[in-house]
Amino acid sequence: MAQTGRLILPASKPFGVPLRPVTTLRILIIAAVLVGWEALAASGLLYRDVVPSLLAIVRALVATLRDPAFYFHLGTTAYEIGIAMLIGGLSGLAVGIALGGSKFLSRAYEAYLYYLGPCPKIIFFPIMIMWFGVGPGSKIAMGAISCFFPVALNAAGGMREIDKVLIRVGRSFRASTWQMVSKIYLPAMRHPVINGVRLGLGVALIGTLLAETKLSNRGIGFLVIQAYSIFNMPQMYALLIILFVISIGANSLIGRIGRLDSIKRN
Amino acid sequence: MAAVVGPLQHIDVNRKPATTGPILAVDNLVKRFETPDGVLTAVDHVSLGVAPGEFLGVIGPSGCGKSTLFNVIGGLLDGYEGTVQVAGERMHGPHPSIGMIFQEESTFPWRNVLDNVAFPLEIAGMGKSERYERARHFVKLVGLDGFERRYPAELSGGMRQRVSMARTLAAQPKILLMDEPFASLDEQTRLLLGDKVLQIQQELKQTTLLITHNITEAVQLSDRVVVMTYRPGKVKRIVDIALPRPRSSEIVSSEAFGRYVAQIWADLREEASRGLQEQESEKLRGAEGR
Amino acid sequence: MTAVALARTRFAPAALGLFSFVVLIALVELLIRIGLINRFIVPMPSDIIAAFPRVVVEEHVLQRFLLTASEAFSASILVTIFGVAGGVLLHRYRLLRLATETWVAAVAAAPLVLMYPLYLVIFGRSALTIVMMGFTAGLAPIVLKTLEGLSGTRRVLINVGRSFSLTASQQFWKILFPAALPTIFVGLRLGLIFSLINIVGVEFLINFGGLGQLINELAERYDLPGTYAAICFVILVSICVFIIMERLERWLRPAD
Repeated sequence: MAQTGRLILPASKPFGVPLRPVTTLRILIIAAVLVGWEALAASGLLYRDVVPSLLAIVRALVATLRDPAFYFHLGTTAYEIGIAMLIGGLSGLAVGIALGGSKFLSRAYEAYLYYLGPCPKIIFFPIMIMWFGVGPGSKIAMGAISCFFPVALNAAGGMREIDKVLIRVGRSFRASTWQMVSKIYLPAMRHPVINGVRLGLGVALIGTLLAETKLSNRGIGFLVIQAYSIFNMPQMYALLIILFVISIGANSLIGRIGRLDSIKRN
Repeated sequence: MAAVVGPLQHIDVNRKPATTGPILAVDNLVKRFETPDGVLTAVDHVSLGVAPGEFLGVIGPSGCGKSTLFNVIGGLLDGYEGTVQVAGERMHGPHPSIGMIFQEESTFPWRNVLDNVAFPLEIAGMGKSERYERARHFVKLVGLDGFERRYPAELSGGMRQRVSMARTLAAQPKILLMDEPFASLDEQTRLLLGDKVLQIQQELKQTTLLITHNITEAVQLSDRVVVMTYRPGKVKRIVDIALPRPRSSEIVSSEAFGRYVAQIWADLREEASRGLQEQESEKLRGAEGR
Repeated sequence: MTAVALARTRFAPAALGLFSFVVLIALVELLIRIGLINRFIVPMPSDIIAAFPRVVVEEHVLQRFLLTASEAFSASILVTIFGVAGGVLLHRYRLLRLATETWVAAVAAAPLVLMYPLYLVIFGRSALTIVMMGFTAGLAPIVLKTLEGLSGTRRVLINVGRSFSLTASQQFWKILFPAALPTIFVGLRLGLIFSLINIVGVEFLINFGGLGQLINELAERYDLPGTYAAICFVILVSICVFIIMERLERWLRPAD
């Protein structure tokens, strides 16, 4: 139970455990899942195709990736999310900075953001359709209002966490408001903002995709619900796999940007 | 299992100690660490003994291995050469007769003062009313009566250290081991808490080993002071502090006190400046290597 | 603080917030009445308010609320048990943790709710689908936060336990777990938020269940004031739930 007293461990043994067992365990887990899956698929225990064979899924995956129409839909969704992030992110940032910078404003309005934040935004979709039509507009709106809240709340919190002395330095050099924002506030709070953007991307993705499943004739969400409606399960699994890979990749990319930044600083 | 806690002992001030030898004996302790820069010897053949009821101070510059010594004696580190014996028994892991007080903030934030202090008694399986009664005694001993229901977050740093102290004392350890317990406090609080510690130690006849880097504290509280060298840590000198007991913080203004401090500082200064030089050359070497 | 100072720092901003909200509504009402905003896209606030009692009575809002609440409750219980247990398990078995922690973090980042058509196929168009969706969505953050809380216990507290020679079980229950509780609660809050979002969302999407379905139905009937009223109602419920969660947390952890 007592420590062994080692101060630093060699890189081949992080946490004192050799690297190879971790990789082995991972491979074992993946293998077990795949084998179990195939067994379930072949057994016919569940309703046909609820668990399709791995081969069918892989075939659907390849077919989808080869299909030019898929990229059209992918592009549509990406475009919608991109614009949504721009609108929601920038307005969230602006509101967050305003609220974080003023105790008065924060006390007046931040509670609304705080309690509206956890509300499921998809319920606003009928309103969005009415205001922006059944095309990409309503999907972008869904993504934008989803992503607004985490960005705004994180920005407000980030503003308050800025070391007060940095603000005094800026004021002592008589920086204009815009200079304060761009040269002091934003750099000082880049970590909370990056986290907010990460969260915002996550919820914007959800908002936009769900809107596409509900009422659309384009986009990945539409493809998923289409596959469901014709009970093409391998296709649905393939689409979900692609979707998850992309979203996890995007999320870790943003995370890496955040971490790279702190490494550069140290 | 944890410390066996017997009935509250009534300490007879005039009683002679039962054991004639030291109650804590460290014999030729060597502790090395592996670092990316090679093997580091933190403690190099250190031997010392603490007599029952004695207050031993261990002082040294930063990097002299005092914290290593603390962790080894406390049983939190192993893989060392030499022996550590408690009342003649060789130690393997945390010994129930040793109570540790750590440098960092160590009260349990989710328990109030009374529950914090009653913790070792709870572990030992004592009944609720009995352990609360006993805990109250120790809360009073450290001067925090009235604060039993408060939570650590509501207390000052000094008060929290007193809670940690009361908690360790409640287990009635034969040997109290303290690692710079007042490091995070300001000077005046230190002196006053030092008074408290003296008072408690005198009342309980508690055998204590105090690790510190503060000379005033060491001289104020100890019967003997062990001065350690910069690493590899060895015993440089043992100074007998022949100041009268019972003591109080007023003693810091006496002449004899000043002489002891000067004597220890002379030894310490040598080691501290050597340590500083070595650290600077290490940093330079590191910078050049890049 | 003097009464004047208190008024300035507390009441004034809160009053401003409320006031701006009221002004906004009044402005919208005005703009609709004079025709600048199309009343078939944005119903008059007065109509929306009037629709409230109708919606509550005719659409059996109470029953729907109870249905959504029971789904949320079941999902919460499941997700708390499995989430915390999962975090404890990963903390206990270091190798397992090293192998799977990044996977769990990745799952937490994925838009899991898109699997709802899959769940429809597996569980049918029923409350079970909704509960399962809530469970799936809330699991990962709880596992991660539990793990974070347990492994983030301050070294000195662990050492206090070791110095008292605690057994592994005592160390866990008396030190690690209480120390981790604040972080675990953060995880539970996050997990519950995700669960709730997904539950109401899926109800809306599959047109089944309680409050989410109500909004969908009213929208499909083109009952504009009703739809808006129902949305307001769901927002109110969601706000109340989170306020209650916060109070509960504060009551359970008086130490902070």
